[in-house]
Amino acid sequence: MVRIELAQIRPFLGDVERNFLKHREIVETSDADCVVFPELSLTGYVLKDLTFELFRYSEKAVEKLAEASGGKCVVAGTIKEVRPGVLRNSAAVIINGEVDYVYKFYLPTYGLFEERRYFQRGDPPRDLKTFQHAGIKFGVMICEDAWHPEPAEALALMGADLILIPAASPMRRLGRSLAIQDSWEALLKAHALMNAVWVTFVNTVGSQEEEFFWGGSMAVSPLGEVKLRLKLFEEDRAVYSIDLEELRRARFFSSFRDHISSFHRVLAEL
Amino acid sequence: MNEYVAQALAIDCDKVARYLVERLREYIEESGARGGVLGLSGGIDSSVVAVLLAKATDNFFFLLMPSASTPPRDMEDAMKIVKLTGAERKHAVVPIDDYVKAMSSAVDVADKRIVGNIKARLRMVLLYAYAQKLGYLVVGTGDKSEIMLGYFTKYGDGGVDILPIGDLYKTQVRQLGRCLGVPEEIVAKPPSPALWEGQTAEGEIGADYETVDSVLYLRYEEMRTREETAAMLGIDVSVVDRIDALVRRSQHKRLPPEIFRLSGRAVGSDWRYPRRYWNVRPW
Repeated sequence: MVRIELAQIRPFLGDVERNFLKHREIVETSDADCVVFPELSLTGYVLKDLTFELFRYSEKAVEKLAEASGGKCVVAGTIKEVRPGVLRNSAAVIINGEVDYVYKFYLPTYGLFEERRYFQRGDPPRDLKTFQHAGIKFGVMICEDAWHPEPAEALALMGADLILIPAASPMRRLGRSLAIQDSWEALLKAHALMNAVWVTFVNTVGSQEEEFFWGGSMAVSPLGEVKLRLKLFEEDRAVYSIDLEELRRARFFSSFRDHISSFHRVLAEL
Repeated sequence: MNEYVAQALAIDCDKVARYLVERLREYIEESGARGGVLGLSGGIDSSVVAVLLAKATDNFFFLLMPSASTPPRDMEDAMKIVKLTGAERKHAVVPIDDYVKAMSSAVDVADKRIVGNIKARLRMVLLYAYAQKLGYLVVGTGDKSEIMLGYFTKYGDGGVDILPIGDLYKTQVRQLGRCLGVPEEIVAKPPSPALWEGQTAEGEIGADYETVDSVLYLRYEEMRTREETAAMLGIDVSVVDRIDALVRRSQHKRLPPEIFRLSGRAVGSDWRYPRRYWNVRPW
């Protein structure tokens, strides 16, 4: 059984050192195999032009987090400068002290989002990756990538048994219910069912400028059941165990293995 | 109110109140201020924000700043909120007529609109002086309906540090007021800035707040056409147009002043930083 910790934190916008200290404390006190933080967890999300200043600090924070990670795997949200002056919204994946990066493909630039103003998107042929730790193969995709079918599909077909989704989903329309929570739950279940994988969503929580991130992180089994729910509107952390037997049973009774790749040739022409 | 819009604007009072109280508490704490001061008029907006602020922190202070055009009933209602929030020792009454007279004579005007705006701006000056004296923030009481319509005095009641209920329409603030225990006579009272005698918001805007909020919601959140909005609400399209015009004309009141561009990077254009810039430390 692989144990995954969901670390639903409230990053302080722009205060990388303070955020790093919180990451380190959680990693050091965790007994899980893997600790997963939200999107841009080391910097905060509503950065605007601070993006241009904070990438240096967040790269340093990733190095220090790697030193503190011990034998754990850690996924933390950061800004990566891939070439001088070219920044990407990234997840640092630390395994046995070694750092690799996953880049966000779909950069939301609508409504309150303005990511394409600051970031370059990842390039799927080069940047889709899977990782191996504690006996499980997993992939990572960031927030908006879960609003499209391909990233999860690609990771699952590349062999991921678990997909980790660091996110920064802000609250909208808090009237009588929280519509965005229902939407996310539907997406996570769909990815888990269609791709016969475990799915773990770790959302940011708390305020940043006008926005407020709603938390509500979830782990969903390959049978589409929500196995763990973190609190709404406040910081929270919890561990769940991934049962590979459950994954096996789900795949015996799923058409996941019948992937017809020629659909993608058609899609490529559209 | 139109049933469809009423459904859309219905709020879960407890959830919304808890959210606003927590954000107020957090904003005050993280800004480094010790608390919050607000102007209490006896109307629904300031009553609701007063109750929220008193839940968020013990360090609050209410200023009651009546003028000759303030109906006596409003001060009675404000005192009910003082009592409700336990602010007997955390409020002050500062009548403003002497200052209004001095300012009006300096400008040599009697026009009720000019004098009315002087009143709103004098209140802002007093709020900021009290805030600085106490080390507090000025907590604004404007609601979304007023902000969208521009129905406020620029640098008067618009001159504040935060706007906790600025994303709730007037009719939603009434819902919130009822479940926060604001007395019904305050919730049901026709809104008025009371900048001159007999002034009412709905009289000046030319529509009641149920209609105003419905039009604002359908036009700007659901982005429906003016014709469709009028048809859904069973009102003349001229009412929609009047509200649209108020929104468009008042944009300058909602934004910082325009800065004429010269440099390579200019404030208000491509120098875009978050408000909580103070968190950034070299590391």
